[in-house]
Amino acid sequence: MVDTLLSGQLLFAALVSGSLYALVALGLNLVYGTLRLLNIAHGDLVMIGAYVAFWLFTLLAVPPVVALVVAAVLCAVLGWAVYAGLFRRMLAKPALARRVEANSLILFYGISVILQNSAALAFTASPRAYRWLDTVITWGGVSMTLNRLLTLGVAAGLCLGVLAFLRFHLFGWGLRAVIQRREAAQVVGVNIERVQLATICAGFAVAGMAGVLVSMTEQITPFMGFPFTIVAFVVIIVGGLGNIGAGVLAGFALGLVETYGIALTSAGYRSILIYGIFVAVLMVRPEGLFTRAVRT
Amino acid sequence: MSFLEVRGVSKRFGGITALNDVSLTVEKGEIFGLMGANGAGKTTLFSVIAGHAAPSSGEVLFKGRRITGLPPARICRQGICRTFQIVRPMAGLSVAENVRVAALYGSHGLRPGPQTDAKVAEALAAVGLDDQLETLAGALTLSGQKRLEIARALATGAELVMLDEVMAGLNPTEIAHMLDTLSALRRERGLTFVIVEHVIGALMTLSDRILVLHHGERIAFGTPEDIGRNDQVAEVYFG
Amino acid sequence: MKGIWPTAGVVLAGLALAAPLSGNAYLTGVAFQIAMWIALAQSWSMLSATTGYVSLGHAVFYGIGGYVAVLLVDAAPFPLVLLVAALAPAVFAAVIGLPVLRVRGPYFVILTYGLSELVRHGVMRIESALGSFGRMIFSAPSPEALLWWMVALAVAATLGAWAVRHSRFGAGLAAIREDEVAAETLGVPTARLKLLALIASAIIPGAVGGLAMMRTGYFEPGQAFDPVVSFTIVTMALVGGTDSVRGPVMGAIGFALLSELLWSSFPQLYMIVLGAALIGFVLFVPQGLSGLVDRIAGRRA
Repeated sequence: MVDTLLSGQLLFAALVSGSLYALVALGLNLVYGTLRLLNIAHGDLVMIGAYVAFWLFTLLAVPPVVALVVAAVLCAVLGWAVYAGLFRRMLAKPALARRVEANSLILFYGISVILQNSAALAFTASPRAYRWLDTVITWGGVSMTLNRLLTLGVAAGLCLGVLAFLRFHLFGWGLRAVIQRREAAQVVGVNIERVQLATICAGFAVAGMAGVLVSMTEQITPFMGFPFTIVAFVVIIVGGLGNIGAGVLAGFALGLVETYGIALTSAGYRSILIYGIFVAVLMVRPEGLFTRAVRT
Repeated sequence: MSFLEVRGVSKRFGGITALNDVSLTVEKGEIFGLMGANGAGKTTLFSVIAGHAAPSSGEVLFKGRRITGLPPARICRQGICRTFQIVRPMAGLSVAENVRVAALYGSHGLRPGPQTDAKVAEALAAVGLDDQLETLAGALTLSGQKRLEIARALATGAELVMLDEVMAGLNPTEIAHMLDTLSALRRERGLTFVIVEHVIGALMTLSDRILVLHHGERIAFGTPEDIGRNDQVAEVYFG
Repeated sequence: MKGIWPTAGVVLAGLALAAPLSGNAYLTGVAFQIAMWIALAQSWSMLSATTGYVSLGHAVFYGIGGYVAVLLVDAAPFPLVLLVAALAPAVFAAVIGLPVLRVRGPYFVILTYGLSELVRHGVMRIESALGSFGRMIFSAPSPEALLWWMVALAVAATLGAWAVRHSRFGAGLAAIREDEVAAETLGVPTARLKLLALIASAIIPGAVGGLAMMRTGYFEPGQAFDPVVSFTIVTMALVGGTDSVRGPVMGAIGFALLSELLWSSFPQLYMIVLGAALIGFVLFVPQGLSGLVDRIAGRRA
């Protein structure tokens, strides 16, 4: 048992799922930070990304690396549609805005139900999978498939890229300003609407890309997204609102806890572990994400 | 035994001291004024007395009984009710329903029935809102909402009413009207008031005694005349 | 107009009770479904419509009741089984209530969902550890008896919801919904009232869960705690309208009938309609079906 726990094998698995969690949570965190929108349908974007990859590969033999781009564009367009269709309208109608805010979670749960069941209607509920780049290489006693290695590389790379962008690019500064002090950002000349639109597109795109990565190693079903939403919630509640950097760390931490927790028990405990952490975290921090800690 | 007694209350938020060793006593039937610039600690003191915040040290006694650390609902039922600087109407309920909650749950603890309805009507008449029973509280003017808060406090059966800037944002006519209402309430019901007010004229007119806070500390105390003559107060207020 | 509703309720309950007389088992089944969703939506409204704490996890009470009933059905007389099925989720609500009800707004919604899922997966683990992959029920009462019990629960839930709204308790809950801080200042013991509302809204769903398992003759935790149950309750109540007791009844009847039409052949389509109706009503008809009916009736009068 101890051997298993100390093995690099387990650490590698933990890092792979941690990097995915960090990436999914990153997208949710960006959207929440700038739009104050708790998008419970976020995980369903992961599902959409996964199906994009599956169909491109199965029907057209397009490799998932290309699907990454397609899924990102598709989800970004979805983000644009949500922004143009909902948020612009809310800005124009305060009564509508109040209703959306008061019922945001129920509304987006409704959207999530529609997305999941539309996918089930279109593709049936049966799980799907494909094999690509599953050659095993062994390095330092750790066996890993190439697609897992690729997942870790792309997910971690994307996280670091976004962090670097926020820190070093002028637009990233504007974005951080909007997360921290919306009104003040406007005063100093940040174009809030442009930042919000860009963020929702980026946040959605990142989730879609995460879905492509997930599809390489896990089964694809219409209902695969929700657990990712829950995981992302845990990560940003632990890491703190708008605290993108801490969120990435929290994502990796959750991957570790989950992988080692399952290793100590059995795979049947995965959902209990995730929902247990989720419930515990919310009970310990009942104010949820509305806590300070705004750094990057 | 004083009606309300605050003994050496301090309140710290992280590294900031909002109140530092403040003591005061309020006698039954008086109007006690609290004065001070923004951030002097007036609202914090209200919150500590009303149970919205626990003091870091010190204690509060009401009619000789310790009330420090009790939840706000318990403190209300003992006979203390506060209003809010930023009004908190229950916007989706009617004016009468707002006051009815207070009558049902305050220190009277009435059952629904004619007695409650009478209490509600009387409290609304006392502040001049008796012609708007069915109006939604959210649809009242600011002045109306401030009056609604007072009516709710009356309906709880409070003996001590704490008013947090009940004149702020009102025009001169409304302020005069409010001053009349408060004097009448004291005269006719023997209520005790603690008031925080930025409108200094109103505070000087109404109060029997005034305590001045500055950066969480007590810097002056006395009758309105005393305070008017106090150099330190003049310095803080007028530089 | 107002006087019509109690009469309509009595007629409805009478029709449901008389359904078995038709000799048509399908009709009995439909009446059972309608009564079941009315009981669930009304119970939900005792907490969520009154306090504004929207629960997306009522399946947990339904599931616990179902589980307890299945475990007991062979060991105790049926009324006692139902009683325990009703009390078990109430005890659960009492235990988790205080910490859960400190969480507000959207976080409360998602927390109730998470809790329900946690219990679902927990029961699934327990059952598989016991080597059970679904339990058959052999000693269930007749479909007619189950229907009568269910109608009784629907009536009880509706009367209960009405009584809560028109009591001192209900006035306190409305104050909590409008402004919790102001309510406290006026002497409303908010924590206690919220807890009582949660417990009150957990009791009947427990008994409903028990009856529902007897009706299907089968218990499987994944199904008994299905989050679709929670979502359906919320949708029925919100689409029906939460300002009055008749709202949830209207929503429950509407969707129960729609489900008969769609569920067996196009379950996904039914879910999509449910989601779309929820979004449409929350955004554009916030007063719900009952408010809509009132407006139309008012225009005609």
